[in-house]
Amino acid sequence: MSRAQIIMTRLALLALVLAAWELLPRHQVVNPLLLPPLGDVLSMLGKLLLQARVHEAIGVTAAEVVVAFLIAVPLGAVLGVLIAESDYLGEVFKPMLFYVFSIPKSIFLPMFILAFGITFAQKVAYAAFTTTFVVMISAATAVESVKQDYILVARSYGATRAQILMRVYVPSMMPLLLEALRISMIFNFTGVMIAEMYASRTGIGHMISGWGENFQMPELFAGVILLSAVAVLFNEAVRFFEARCSAWRT
Amino acid sequence: MRPRALPAPAKVRWAMLVTLLLAWELVPRTGLIPELLLPALSSTLKVLYQDSHIYWAALLVTLYEVALAMLIACGGGIITGAVVGGIARLRDLLLPVFSSLYAVPMVILYPVFTAWFGIGSESKIAFAGIYAFFPVMLSTAAGIRTIDPQFILAARSMGATLTQQVTRVIIPASLPAVFAGLRLGGALAIIGVVVSEMLTAAAGIGYLVTLNRTILDSARVFAALLMILVLSVAYYMLARAIERRVVVWQSVGRAPKAAQAEGGPGVPVAAAA
Repeated sequence: MSRAQIIMTRLALLALVLAAWELLPRHQVVNPLLLPPLGDVLSMLGKLLLQARVHEAIGVTAAEVVVAFLIAVPLGAVLGVLIAESDYLGEVFKPMLFYVFSIPKSIFLPMFILAFGITFAQKVAYAAFTTTFVVMISAATAVESVKQDYILVARSYGATRAQILMRVYVPSMMPLLLEALRISMIFNFTGVMIAEMYASRTGIGHMISGWGENFQMPELFAGVILLSAVAVLFNEAVRFFEARCSAWRT
Repeated sequence: MRPRALPAPAKVRWAMLVTLLLAWELVPRTGLIPELLLPALSSTLKVLYQDSHIYWAALLVTLYEVALAMLIACGGGIITGAVVGGIARLRDLLLPVFSSLYAVPMVILYPVFTAWFGIGSESKIAFAGIYAFFPVMLSTAAGIRTIDPQFILAARSMGATLTQQVTRVIIPASLPAVFAGLRLGGALAIIGVVVSEMLTAAAGIGYLVTLNRTILDSARVFAALLMILVLSVAYYMLARAIERRVVVWQSVGRAPKAAQAEGGPGVPVAAAA
């Protein structure tokens, strides 16, 4: 299939899904109380986006996501570089990381609530905690992806440490670093959402779980569409840069 | 090379575990951290023993939900992943779409499931099933692609029939991808079930965490937490042991590496929640 054909088929599939979402509930094939027609959901989304309390919730959630990300990325990156660059630390900690990954981090939420109360700090701390592990392993993978040959060549031509860092490490790691950031953001966003849905007084995650409990399906689906759209758009934007940065590799 | 003075990594890991357990017992005892924040290990084990019938009953509910969620996620995910990854046309068409959708924080769908299926086990099974489905599918699809085409070429040139090619070449060669999918799917199903039980539920270990948290009974919170820790680590060890036995002939570690290079979710996926 050519590029154009692929895109056309994808658009056709998307149109099919959206049409089914609109038409099936409209014609009572599925219960519109459980799945409101797409049109109703979108008009509800429009209404919600004009409300001040929704603006406030979006602001809080966005701030939590950004602050948690700013904490987790440098912290995880430093730890990841340490276990990648030091053979000994790598040998000690890498096998443990795999166990840590299979543990549901949400069970530690009660500890964050006890330590910070139900506050902004509790959500940020929990999200940063879950994200740090992801950043750590991605950073370690990125460092390890740098070919030793490149470093050897640079050294034998007399490159300084700073030059090796800026001219060898950074460009070779760039695509993987962007991928690391992208995946970390997915986990970071999920962490904030779980923390807000679990115990919160504000934020979009809190609103979504409230709408679910009160069976306000149009509001609930509008929230799901809004968050999904934000997440997918951010992800695609990073992937676009990722593709540009790795063009030279092949 | 590691300098002689440093102790062996395995020893360091055991020492860290022992230190952690000792600290868990001693730090609250000395009052450095109040028992409300961190109840001592012995108090935690004591309530776990006293209330063992409650915890066992909760564990059974959780295990039942995990088993069904795994069935959805691994069954559906491995089959879909094999089909999508194995057929070039579908792969080009759908794989990028699935990896875009993967960015959506699945947990926001949980309120939808509770509204649809109620707060019983059904909503947890549905949520955890979907939560684990995408990563399993993406990792299987990436793993299937690493099958060496030379294997099939060799089988064909020696006159293998299609059935023989499938049973003797394709299935054994895709086992590493399948087992990686099972390991990932089980871990994620446990995470999904625990998260959803913590959010809205009336039974299960995750529910015990939330119930006891709201009444500030920290020892019982930590007892539930300890059970979940043991459950997830035990599952991981079991899955690794089975995997090692079954795919022993494969060059170990090749499939997961390739999966990561393809942009599919490798290990980090399991860190969610």
